[in-house]
Amino acid sequence: MIGAFYGKFERHAHGAGIKGQSTHYCSGCGHGLAHKYLAEAISELGIQDRTVAVSPVGCSVFLYYYLDVGNTQAAHGRAPAVGLGHKLANPESIVVTYQGDGDLASIGLAEIVSSAQAGIPMSVIFINNAIYGMTGGQMAPTTLMGMKTSTSPHGRARMTGQPMKMAELMALLDGAIYVERVALFNAKERLRAKNAVKKALQLQVENKGFAFVEVLAECPTHLKMSPSENSKWVQQNMLPIFPLGVKKDVQPAEAFQPFTPSFDKDKVVGIVTEGLTGKAPTFCRKFPDHLAPKDVALKLAGAGGDGAQTAALLITRAGINEGFDATHIPSYGPESRGGTSYADVHIADGEVLSPASPSPHVLVAFNQPSLEKFGPQVQPGGTIIYDSSVVAGRPAFEGKKVYGVPFSQIAKDLGKLVVKNIVALGALQAVTEILPKESFLTAVRMELKHKAALIPLNEKAFELGQQAVK
Amino acid sequence: MTSKTTKAKEKAKPFLLPTYCKGCGRCIDACAKGCISAGTKINPSTGLVPVNLDLANCTGCGLCVVACPEPYGLRITEGGCEGVQGDFVIEDPQKLFGPRPTTAPKPEPVADQLIGLPDCEPLVTKGTYASAIGALLAGCRHVYGYPITPSTEGAELMAKYLPLLDGVFFQAVSEVATVNFMYGTGGAGLPCMTFTSSPGFSLMLEGISYMVGSEVPGVFVNVMRGGPGLGNIAPEQADIKVMCRGLGHGNTFCIVLAPSTPQEMLDLTIKSFELSFKYRNPVLIAADGYLGQMTGMVRLPKHMRKPGIPEWAVYGDRNHRGNLICSIYLNETDLEKHNRHLNQKYENIRKSEQLADLYQCEDAEVILVASNTPSRMAKGAVAALRSQWVKAGLFRPITLWPFPVDYLKPLLKKTKHIVVVEASAGQLEDEMRLAFSKADIRDYPPIHHVRHMGGMLPQQSEIVEKVLALDLRRTQ
Repeated sequence: MIGAFYGKFERHAHGAGIKGQSTHYCSGCGHGLAHKYLAEAISELGIQDRTVAVSPVGCSVFLYYYLDVGNTQAAHGRAPAVGLGHKLANPESIVVTYQGDGDLASIGLAEIVSSAQAGIPMSVIFINNAIYGMTGGQMAPTTLMGMKTSTSPHGRARMTGQPMKMAELMALLDGAIYVERVALFNAKERLRAKNAVKKALQLQVENKGFAFVEVLAECPTHLKMSPSENSKWVQQNMLPIFPLGVKKDVQPAEAFQPFTPSFDKDKVVGIVTEGLTGKAPTFCRKFPDHLAPKDVALKLAGAGGDGAQTAALLITRAGINEGFDATHIPSYGPESRGGTSYADVHIADGEVLSPASPSPHVLVAFNQPSLEKFGPQVQPGGTIIYDSSVVAGRPAFEGKKVYGVPFSQIAKDLGKLVVKNIVALGALQAVTEILPKESFLTAVRMELKHKAALIPLNEKAFELGQQAVK
Repeated sequence: MTSKTTKAKEKAKPFLLPTYCKGCGRCIDACAKGCISAGTKINPSTGLVPVNLDLANCTGCGLCVVACPEPYGLRITEGGCEGVQGDFVIEDPQKLFGPRPTTAPKPEPVADQLIGLPDCEPLVTKGTYASAIGALLAGCRHVYGYPITPSTEGAELMAKYLPLLDGVFFQAVSEVATVNFMYGTGGAGLPCMTFTSSPGFSLMLEGISYMVGSEVPGVFVNVMRGGPGLGNIAPEQADIKVMCRGLGHGNTFCIVLAPSTPQEMLDLTIKSFELSFKYRNPVLIAADGYLGQMTGMVRLPKHMRKPGIPEWAVYGDRNHRGNLICSIYLNETDLEKHNRHLNQKYENIRKSEQLADLYQCEDAEVILVASNTPSRMAKGAVAALRSQWVKAGLFRPITLWPFPVDYLKPLLKKTKHIVVVEASAGQLEDEMRLAFSKADIRDYPPIHHVRHMGGMLPQQSEIVEKVLALDLRRTQ
């Protein structure tokens, strides 16, 4: 039975000579057998056309020389991530990742653990031969205690920890539904190994879940043994540390449902516009050039939670609704709540050029530090509106129009402190007439379209803010 | 004699071409009848010692075949093995079995579809959101990512929208895993992307090198923040060097697009997907922290795309079974050939894909060169300088790699000064100077700069000051 192997290994040294039908593995290596069981299982399950095999880095990097399926070669340790990338791209595909002990149990631990936990159907073949092969006999995470390798020349010792027992670790993860450790050292174990590989694929064909087969394999070259000595060594030395058997075989909590992404244009437009496809009414007759000829710069400043960003966004939306260009740039302190929170807003007739507001025409300050920091930066003749509920005294800025409005007190009296930013917007509108009242209220209604119950409160807050100025 | 026993007796026996036996001897233990023994003669064509078969007692149990690790080693051949048993004459396997080429068909591409969109009012949205929406309209339904400020909102929006479209947003275990998910989905031939920010982008570089080497498309939106190291979360442009010159190991280049408005975040994200598939190469969007967070007006395009599947993809279906995605070329001449192929692609990109925005450059005596958000401060400065009768213009590279030197070159004759405005220690200027050098431009005006680092952007006023301090009477 040739299984899902290529008839000729064209990728192996261009298929020249013996290499066209021979693997690159050493005599006695376990990889060939694992490849063979995989090729046979793919063939027996009739999934050759659907299969994507992910080759790792290590001796089995050339899996793609041999398996006549869709092939991808992954970066060291990343095969499970690459495999899931394929599986999620085409949930009907059957993805097999094949990794050695350095690839899976050392550099790729994060990927294998998180992919197993994700529980998305994928079949992982893990070859554990207790040593690095491709790099030439270095210590693997699965190297046995006391074992001499080129990077543990005195024998693996305490400082390097104990061998990683991957099958047991995988069995602990909720997403893995089938975990078995098998070996290749005698006829009985080989049949078990062959069946385990097939079962790992079968579970994926059935959309069940993540399956993991650890294969205890031989590496006679780097363990410096004959193939038959190595087989005995696996049996005598690896088995006590890596006991064989099924570690887990359960039904998935929930079956995997293959899916096909939607390209329905109405659905897409509905989602990306969040339903705001219609034209907003306009109320503005002309650009507010009484504030600046072409481009009005505002700054709203407070602490996180004051609502400066939301207020800034509402001004921006109102400006754009009216057909102007408008921008809003937030600037937060290190914490998203409780830190500083400043917003630069521009409304321009034409295009907003520079969107920052280092010297704004209008400042809305929600607290004392913001007022002190940005008050002096306001342009001569500019406007400052601050929350007089929290700012002590009557601050003066020469050559600037200053208005104290009790944003917080008004909002508190309304029973919702969070609407103080809307109070501030009302005050801003009354003081500057930057845009008509209805422009602001339209923006508020659009923003609250999914929380319609809050609209009357916000409208009230806006009006009280306006009245407080008058 | 029952037919059953006849059948059992006729069970096919194993067959072995010694050329394909490496003499590991697993089959020796596997045979209960002792038919197989260790060899003693070295096979001259392999230098190995194949096993000996004496099938007189063979029951055809097949356990030796299960034990043989070589695909073309011990086999039970269909139709028996007359004439080759016994003496192990080495025969050409092609002659024995005939060629068994792959049965996978020649892959055909499945074409993209453009779908018209209804007219919509402009959105009021922030840069990262605009980019995410652009990706959805470009046909991307696979987004992978790992949260990092200030890029995370893009991923958050995708996490909200994609399930509604039966797409995939997957929060990977790390940026390293993220880029490898993209290698998988991109390798399957589908558009995919990530949002990340400087330190996260650094972590993706190995994977980007693999994607370039394997010619896998994918879009990376890097919302640049202050560095080096953890730096801060304020805007910088200090990843220009790594994006233009340092994409992991080897001979790697990607188109780098630098938007300057939320609208461009959308437009250039759509363009990124087109370029990424056109050239089978990752494409990078260099945004800055301000731009990611900046809210503005964003108009939707006239079309959206339903992606097909390119012929080279490893999609996991019959059509694409013969394909391979890999970046390994063990043979030196093969790898050099691959690199020459990549170089040709880079050269095509350099010739065809340069993009720049020229603002009041026609008569400019001072050209400001700036990209991303600093280009907006520079644009403001141009307007302010023009109001003071200074002939200033803004040259805004939209492709940082390839640097759009073809558009800048014709302006250099009239220009008395170049002022590079950037939020980095000169990385944009370096790209421009290198582009001059490569284009063999030796005669260019003095280059000045306005730079900030640490998360502050050059402000309009200081750009104006810098220009006013220049000697504008200077003749070339």
